[in-house]
Amino acid sequence: MIAQLVELARRRADGGADALWRRFERTTAAFEWGRLKSAGTTEEAGANLRVRHRGRVGVAGTTATDVVPDELVGRALASAELGEALELAFPGPPPPSAHLPGVATFFDRAANASLDDLIGIGRSLLTRLEREGCRVNVAVERETTATRVANTAGAGGEYRGTGFGVSADVWRIAGDDVLVVSDALEGADLPSEEALAALVASINTRLDQALRVVAPPEGALPVVFTPAGLSALMLPVTQALSGKAVLQGISPLGAKVGEQVFDARVSLTDDPLRVGRTASRPLDDECVPSRTTCLVERGVVQRFIYDLETAARAKTESTGHGSRGIFGKPVPAYTNIVLNDAGAQPAAPLQLGGGLLGDIRDGLLVDELIGVGQGSVTGGAFSHPVALAYRIERGEIAGRVKDAAVAGNAYELWKRVGGFGNDARWTGSRCAPSVLFEGVSVARR
Amino acid sequence: MIDRLTAALARSRADYTEIRVERTWSTAVTFRGRRLESATASEDQGGFVRALHAGGGWGVASFTSLDRLEAMVVRAGELSRAVPVDPPIRLADVPPHQADALLDLDGDVRGVPIAAKKRLLEAYNGAMLGVSDRIVDTLAVYRDEVSEYWYVNSQGTILHELRPDVTLSGTAVARRDGTIEKGLESIGMRRGWNSVQDKAAGFREVAERAVQLLDAPMVQGGTYPVILDPELAGVFIHEAFGHLSEADFVYENPQAREMMTLGRRFGKPVLNVGDNGAAPGLRGTLPFDDEGTPTRDTTLIKEGILLGRLHSRETAAAMGEPPTGNARAISFRHPPIVRMTNTYIAGGRGTFEDLIGDVKLGVYACGAFGGQTMLENFSFTAAYGRMIRDGRVAELVKDVVLAGNLFQTLDRIDHIAADFRWNQMGGGCGKAGQFPLSVTEGAPHVRIEEALVGGDVGGPGRAGGP
Repeated sequence: MIAQLVELARRRADGGADALWRRFERTTAAFEWGRLKSAGTTEEAGANLRVRHRGRVGVAGTTATDVVPDELVGRALASAELGEALELAFPGPPPPSAHLPGVATFFDRAANASLDDLIGIGRSLLTRLEREGCRVNVAVERETTATRVANTAGAGGEYRGTGFGVSADVWRIAGDDVLVVSDALEGADLPSEEALAALVASINTRLDQALRVVAPPEGALPVVFTPAGLSALMLPVTQALSGKAVLQGISPLGAKVGEQVFDARVSLTDDPLRVGRTASRPLDDECVPSRTTCLVERGVVQRFIYDLETAARAKTESTGHGSRGIFGKPVPAYTNIVLNDAGAQPAAPLQLGGGLLGDIRDGLLVDELIGVGQGSVTGGAFSHPVALAYRIERGEIAGRVKDAAVAGNAYELWKRVGGFGNDARWTGSRCAPSVLFEGVSVARR
Repeated sequence: MIDRLTAALARSRADYTEIRVERTWSTAVTFRGRRLESATASEDQGGFVRALHAGGGWGVASFTSLDRLEAMVVRAGELSRAVPVDPPIRLADVPPHQADALLDLDGDVRGVPIAAKKRLLEAYNGAMLGVSDRIVDTLAVYRDEVSEYWYVNSQGTILHELRPDVTLSGTAVARRDGTIEKGLESIGMRRGWNSVQDKAAGFREVAERAVQLLDAPMVQGGTYPVILDPELAGVFIHEAFGHLSEADFVYENPQAREMMTLGRRFGKPVLNVGDNGAAPGLRGTLPFDDEGTPTRDTTLIKEGILLGRLHSRETAAAMGEPPTGNARAISFRHPPIVRMTNTYIAGGRGTFEDLIGDVKLGVYACGAFGGQTMLENFSFTAAYGRMIRDGRVAELVKDVVLAGNLFQTLDRIDHIAADFRWNQMGGGCGKAGQFPLSVTEGAPHVRIEEALVGGDVGGPGRAGGP
């Protein structure tokens, strides 16, 4: 369908076109409150078309598979009539000597996993997570995707992908105290037994340590953010490193390329070629070949991410970060964000805080905050109550704290990092270790 | 379509089967700054089947190709058989309904050219940009849709509906040197084109406020008497309490059930809370939920005492309570789960002035940039605040973040004014991967005698930039 769509668009749009077609099918098994509850299947397919006509850009999308390609082109042209005037250039094919980068995105074991396989994984997790006074939810899913992209300049590509996700949460309600400890695995391949064991250990360790509730500390204190807890500090930085924020003039990093803005031990990359991650792909959704982008190197801002449109407006090149769904137009989006690439981690037994707690006399270990992403994120200031956090006393976890809030400015804190843990892991599409910051405001009620 | 769906139903060998099909036409226009970012029209269609065999779990299938309808009905039945469940899933009785409910489209958006939608939004965006050169960026979004909806189940319910939705939102970003502030306008209605005319004033007002916030001090963190305006009070009751009253949270969790025992005192006698899916003309309003159960007004808290909760047919049967018509799905891609519709704190007595009259030092928290709840803990970011000094509204303050424990906070609501209003906003509610669901919240001014207000909590690390 996509070749026909692009060919039709070429005839009717004088400035070219590009298109994405994507199909996915997914199987899920869900255990609710400790018992197998439902099984599901999803099949979805759709196409997204962008045209440039008379200097203006328009977009149309559909999941109606019976739609006539001509009709979709017509809708994209109608959208272009109102669209923005933009010098959008569709990339040509790479020279014959250059191939699309190779990255394994399709794994047979994930593709072929049956519903019974999913149920088996779910049951084994349930058995290992069940405990007196607690209730467990587990969801297991696998999916396969097929993606094709093409443009009128002759570039294009197609690839298949797989995805496998396992998530579990354990609920413990005692009186009015609600404790939820959760974790999830997400990858392109079937998870290994070690990975499942690590997920169980992660939940059980954090739950064990949370059973004792202690008073929160107060003041400007050393605070360790776990790989999951780090979101509040990563979000302003990744938002500010998007070319879109730079173009809008709202990125505090917009004029800082080449400047030392972060601690010299901070490096940040976006890596679409990481094997085994669901966000990996050989080319982006606008036919631009994938490559690793170094965003921050040893504390110095290197570059921002761009898709074709933001690159055209910023008069630069796309970094291969075009991401599009079936509806709407492409936007710049990260793939796999890696903080301080440490390579493969040894499968050491889980140690909360990644070895950073030893020198802390009184402080906090933050695993989850409430309200991350609310308010004006890009400016760097944050203030969040804790959802799951532990008090550290004399180098050890003393217990869980409730009714505490942490606040600070992400940019100030990233200037002087107290230390990086040895526990780098993937949470969603971000790989990071625990990080210790000094002088984070901790307030309590 | 109905004939096709009932024919497909007949092929199911499951004890219970339901099919939903939706076809949605939508347009979206976005301005960023003076730039039209996009103007698109989309068409989304697909189906959903859910089947239940006696002794089996739910088998669910969703798909975009209607050619797959019959195959998916069979597949959902197989999936149900593949997941044995003990004790079995039961559904509360709901009499079968046949209805053709075409809601008032109030100017069908499908008949309005996209160029006219662009002009409307351009005017509202211009109202924000025109306020001051301090407004460095705006984001204005117009979105409308009309969904044609078909639902049939094997117990004889047959529904056909036409559901409109139109939303407008505006974000104004004000900047001076390193200080960035924003203002947010949001309008949403289950109506059509006529209902979004003449709305420029609201957009202008939020941009003016963003500029004023540049000079406003950050609120001093601490514990204060806090008055919530109707908008924030509505978001609060939805986020902090509403989700706990969704029965899927409690029905199979004995500890949660104990925590939410009917008859438990949650607040002072001034507090009355409910959820009304049948209230006329609101975004959370529909004649039936996505299981074919009629919607209704459900009292959740009466005079401070927990009186009811929100149910699907499954949770109602499991708890021996009546179904309330709260099983909702955001689209054919998802199963119906227990959700709110139009959630409210009922009006009390007196005026806003009565609430602040005896407050020496307090915070008037207005509007909502967002809110999140982790069960008993919540955090809400107000759009802006004003200090209350000696019974009067005083200076503007910013970064007003309310954080607290639900049980303590509900219990500290000590005065509720009579000035109830529904907040007809856009956006929506998220749960279990289903976002955004159209809901509405309503409340009058509400006073919390003591609440923790975040903001400047002292210590280094707060000020400054990169």
